[in-house]
Amino acid sequence: MWATFRHELAHMRGRILGWGLGLALMAAYFSSVFSSFEAQMAQLRQAMAYFPQQLFEFFGLDLATLTPYRFLDVKFFSLMPIILGIFAMGAGAGMLAGDEEKGLLDLILAHPVSRKSLFFGKALAFLTALILIIALMWTGFAVGMDRASLKVTPAQMIGPLVSIFAMVVLFWAIGLLLSMVLPSRRMAASGVALLAVASFFVKGMAELDPDLKGIAKLSPFTYYQGGEAAFGLNVGWIVGLLVPAAAFALLAWWRFEKRDIRVAGEGGWALALPARLRPARRRPAEARPAV
Amino acid sequence: MANQPAIAIHGLTKSYGKVRALRGIDLEVQQGEIFGFLGPNGAGKTTTIRCALDLIRPDGGSIRVLGIDPQANPVAVKARVGYLPGELQLDDNLTGEAQLHFLNELRGRKADWHYVRELAERLDLDLKRPIRNLSKGNKIKVGVIQALMHRPELLMLDEPTFGLDPLMQQEVLRLLVEAKRTGATVFFSSHILSEVQAVAERVGIIRRGKIVEVAGVQTLINRSLRRVRIQFRHDVDPTPLTQVPGVALLKRDNGRAVTLQVEGEMDALLKAVAAYPVVDFETERPSLEEIFLTYYADERNSHKTEE
Repeated sequence: MWATFRHELAHMRGRILGWGLGLALMAAYFSSVFSSFEAQMAQLRQAMAYFPQQLFEFFGLDLATLTPYRFLDVKFFSLMPIILGIFAMGAGAGMLAGDEEKGLLDLILAHPVSRKSLFFGKALAFLTALILIIALMWTGFAVGMDRASLKVTPAQMIGPLVSIFAMVVLFWAIGLLLSMVLPSRRMAASGVALLAVASFFVKGMAELDPDLKGIAKLSPFTYYQGGEAAFGLNVGWIVGLLVPAAAFALLAWWRFEKRDIRVAGEGGWALALPARLRPARRRPAEARPAV
Repeated sequence: MANQPAIAIHGLTKSYGKVRALRGIDLEVQQGEIFGFLGPNGAGKTTTIRCALDLIRPDGGSIRVLGIDPQANPVAVKARVGYLPGELQLDDNLTGEAQLHFLNELRGRKADWHYVRELAERLDLDLKRPIRNLSKGNKIKVGVIQALMHRPELLMLDEPTFGLDPLMQQEVLRLLVEAKRTGATVFFSSHILSEVQAVAERVGIIRRGKIVEVAGVQTLINRSLRRVRIQFRHDVDPTPLTQVPGVALLKRDNGRAVTLQVEGEMDALLKAVAAYPVVDFETERPSLEEIFLTYYADERNSHKTEE
């Protein structure tokens, strides 16, 4: 498992640096810029009053209680599960299916490495990479933030980052599971991305339409605290996100243990549809009866 | 344990949806032999090898590799096997050396690195070059090295010389013969039948998911039909010759020359021919390729019959 872990982590170092430094710069920029808004909060509220109220409700923003930190929460943390989710969804969908599609899995699994150790070695490498990216993001906050105006400490920022971690791990696990049941990595990545965006909008729309509150309970975004976690992490929600993530990952492992490792041209790439739903295959020209 | 087959496959079946890739494979490969696995594309060679390595799961039948069930204990099997996939893909971001180091890590660092360098030298491969810059032939060389580097007890090679130049093909075949000399079993598939004939002791021919023949290469050649061309001093009626059991007339060039097909021993034919004034007598055995093509032709005929 450790050989796979080291190899996978080394393979991800470019992505760790790219995503980590990019998000660290973003965190440093936003936390420093929003701290300067404190002096202009009154004008900011006036300006924002011209925007449709529903827009702020969609993001769960109350203008009356607007603070620089709350604004940072909306502008940064509300979007972060989608932004960092893109990395996680791609990594989940490609963790095994990517190597399989490239034909690398065939050679690796012909070595004395069990599917279990390959799976968990790769999964651990992803989780390590994600923690490193989030640690770099935290460093960006710690370096850039004006504690006096934002009124939070770098230690408090760990809460929202834990919340992001739980959300992103859930998307990774869904991508991973889909990649084990759908015919291709691309299809799995598209599926989880669609699910993430739909969940985001369902949660936002539920702020506007109380009738949607019921369905919004199924959206992972409902259990995402974001910036609020700086003032008290909802451990129940974190567990509520991580337990399904673990369940999806274990289901993906189970599926990986049971299935064939595919190579191009061997069949099995098509979606396993019932026969009546399968598109009719055209017969080769020479096999067709002459007209 | 010493006498147990290196590979024992019985009643192996595998389907991909409606496509029946293996229809009850029965095959035994003895320890210490070089076994050639022959068959046209899509016959089931790769599927058989991948079942034996637990890369795909059979629908039925049993497999034992070095006495171990690969479905029950795949890691134990793979620790003792060197495998070269037919569709070899390597990590383009690594150098040949880094790729081999990674695969050696997966093997628990069992490879002899001096041997790796020796193999690279013999195959004229620069291990420092990134894999993305290597030609297909050089990538195959990396694949051959990774299969051999831990001196496995059993080599399972899917088209090991495909894409190599003739010199390197010969070198790889020499490596297989050397591996056999050190006690390894070599099981390989190939389309280059002359090389199978050159190194393999026995061959198995697979056709449409079934083994249609397993025999020693020489036995197969000896058992097969021979062609005999006889030239006589003057015109001869070949009817008495064609009445010899196992003899059939293929061609009559003119009254003085005939080409016959002989099945089995030559004795009866030679005695029959002795009654005539013979100028020349040529006999020709088919190559393994011709024998294989006979099976292949049979397959095409059976296809037509089915249609």
